[in-house]
Amino acid sequence: MSKFLRTTHLFQFHKQNAKIVEFAGFQMPIWYKGIIPEHMAVRTRVGIFDITHMGRTLITGAQSEAFLNHLTTNDVSLLTPLSAQYSTMCNENGGIKDDFVLSRLEQDKFLIVYNAANREKDYQWLVQNSKAFNVKVEDVSDNIAMFVVQGPNAQQTIQKIANADLNKIERFKCNWTKLAGFDGFVSRTGYTGEDGFEVFVWNTPLSKPENAVNVWDAILKAGEEFGIEPCGLGARDTLRLEAGMCLYGNDIDETTTPLEAGLGFVVKLKKDSFIGKDSLAKQKVEGIKRKRVGLLVLEKGPNPRPKQEVWKDNTQIGYVTSGTFSPILECGIAMAYVSIEHATEGGTVMVKVRDKPLKAEIVKFPFYDPTKYGYARQK
Amino acid sequence: MMRALDYEVPDKLYYSKEHEWVRLEEKEAIVGITDYAQKQLHEIVYVEVQKEGSEVKQFQTMGTVESVKSVSDIFSPVTGKITKVNMELTDSPELLNQDPYGKGWLAKINLTDFKEDMKNLLTATQYADYIKSIET
Repeated sequence: MSKFLRTTHLFQFHKQNAKIVEFAGFQMPIWYKGIIPEHMAVRTRVGIFDITHMGRTLITGAQSEAFLNHLTTNDVSLLTPLSAQYSTMCNENGGIKDDFVLSRLEQDKFLIVYNAANREKDYQWLVQNSKAFNVKVEDVSDNIAMFVVQGPNAQQTIQKIANADLNKIERFKCNWTKLAGFDGFVSRTGYTGEDGFEVFVWNTPLSKPENAVNVWDAILKAGEEFGIEPCGLGARDTLRLEAGMCLYGNDIDETTTPLEAGLGFVVKLKKDSFIGKDSLAKQKVEGIKRKRVGLLVLEKGPNPRPKQEVWKDNTQIGYVTSGTFSPILECGIAMAYVSIEHATEGGTVMVKVRDKPLKAEIVKFPFYDPTKYGYARQK
Repeated sequence: MMRALDYEVPDKLYYSKEHEWVRLEEKEAIVGITDYAQKQLHEIVYVEVQKEGSEVKQFQTMGTVESVKSVSDIFSPVTGKITKVNMELTDSPELLNQDPYGKGWLAKINLTDFKEDMKNLLTATQYADYIKSIET
C-alpha cells in the first residue's frame, strides 16, 4: 500500500508535464523539460515554480511584534507594513529550527513562510511559544496557493496580469494586487538570486483550485513572449545553490547556528532576549569553530555531493552539505562546513569523491558573477 | 526496433534488470545503459568507467553515472576484462542521453563465459515486459 502523499492545486498540470517525485510528503514536479534548461530560463529569461507545498502561517494580535521578536533572530521592529525580512528561529542552543521569510502585512499582522519539510514542527513551535503572548497563530497553508516567478523578465511578466504598479515594490517589499482578476499578494523575494516575485493566491483551498490554476495559466501566458518555463524542484535546488542560499536539512539544521552558517546578518544580538540569544552571544564572543563556505571545483570530473569529506593537506577539515553541477559555470560547486582556520577565500582544499581527491577552491557566494547574473546584474 | 511505453528496446541485445545492455561482437561485448535508464537519470553530466584492463564481474560496479541531481552505480551486465572505454564520454557525457545504444556506449568487454552470463540476462521481449511491469 502506498502512503498518502499530498498534492497542490496544480497537480494535474504537473502530472501531465513533469516528472513527479515525493518531497516533504508532497507529490511535486522535479523537472518538466529538464533541470538545465529550466535553470537557464531563470538566469536569462523567466521561470515559474509552484511552491504551494511550503508552510504559511498568519500571526495576528496586539503582541505580534513582541512574540516574533522573542521567537526569531532578526529584528522584527525594523519591518514596516508591507515589507519582508529573511530570518531564522533557533533552539536554546542557537541551533537553527528553520529559516524563513517573514512579511509584515499590517502593524499587527504577519505572514511567515517556512520550509515544507518543517511544516508541522514549525507550526507546533509557533503555537507552543505563543501562549505567553496575546496573539493568534493560524496555519493558512491550505487556503493559499504560492508560486514564485524569477528571472530578469519576471517583473514584466507579472505586471501584465497585476493591477498594482510593480515598479513601486522594491526588493523585500510586498503588496496586495489583483492577479488576472483574482485576490493576490506579491512579495519581491525568492530563492534563486534573481529578481522576481513570490505570488500568493488568496482564498483558494485545494477543494477549489480554480483560482490558483487560473493565475498559474495567466502567468504562463503572460510570460510566453519572454520564453517562460515552468520549473521544478531540481532547478530550484541548483539555482539556490549557485546563489549561495541555504537548504534546510542540508546546509542548516538544529546542530548548526546562524553564525556558523554565515547568516550572522539575521542575528540581532542588540534585541531584548530571544530564544537562543544567550548561546549565540556566547558563540559570537568565543568565535565560531567552523563556517559554511562555497567550494568551486577546479578540475573536470565528478561533482561534489552531500556528506563527502573535505581535506586540507592530510587532515579532514570538514564535509560537504550540498553539491551539484552548476549549469552557469559548467563545473561542480558545493557548500561545506570547514574548520575556521581553513575557511579563507582563495584557499584550496580537496573533496573526497568516492575515494578520489577533487581539487576545489574556497570562494565567496554567489558562485556566479553578480554583475552578469542575479538581481544586481548590470542591465 | 521494439518499444516499451516511451522507451526504445532494440532487438538482438541482451539486457539486465539494472538497465544495462549487451551487444555481442565475436569474442567481445559492447555494453551501455538503456534508453529507460538514461530517461530516468535525465541530463547526464558525468560518466566514469573503470580503466581499460580492469576485470569486471557480472552485476558488480563497473562505473558511475551522474545526472545533475543524482549519482548512480553502473553494474556490469557481463563478466570479463574491459578492453576499451568510450573516452568521448569524458567531454560529452550527454551522448548517453542522445544515443544510449550507439555513440553513448560505455565499454568493450572481453567475455569470460557469456553462456553463464546469459542465464541472468533478459532478451529484448523480456526486458520490454519488465519495463512495462515496473512502470505500471
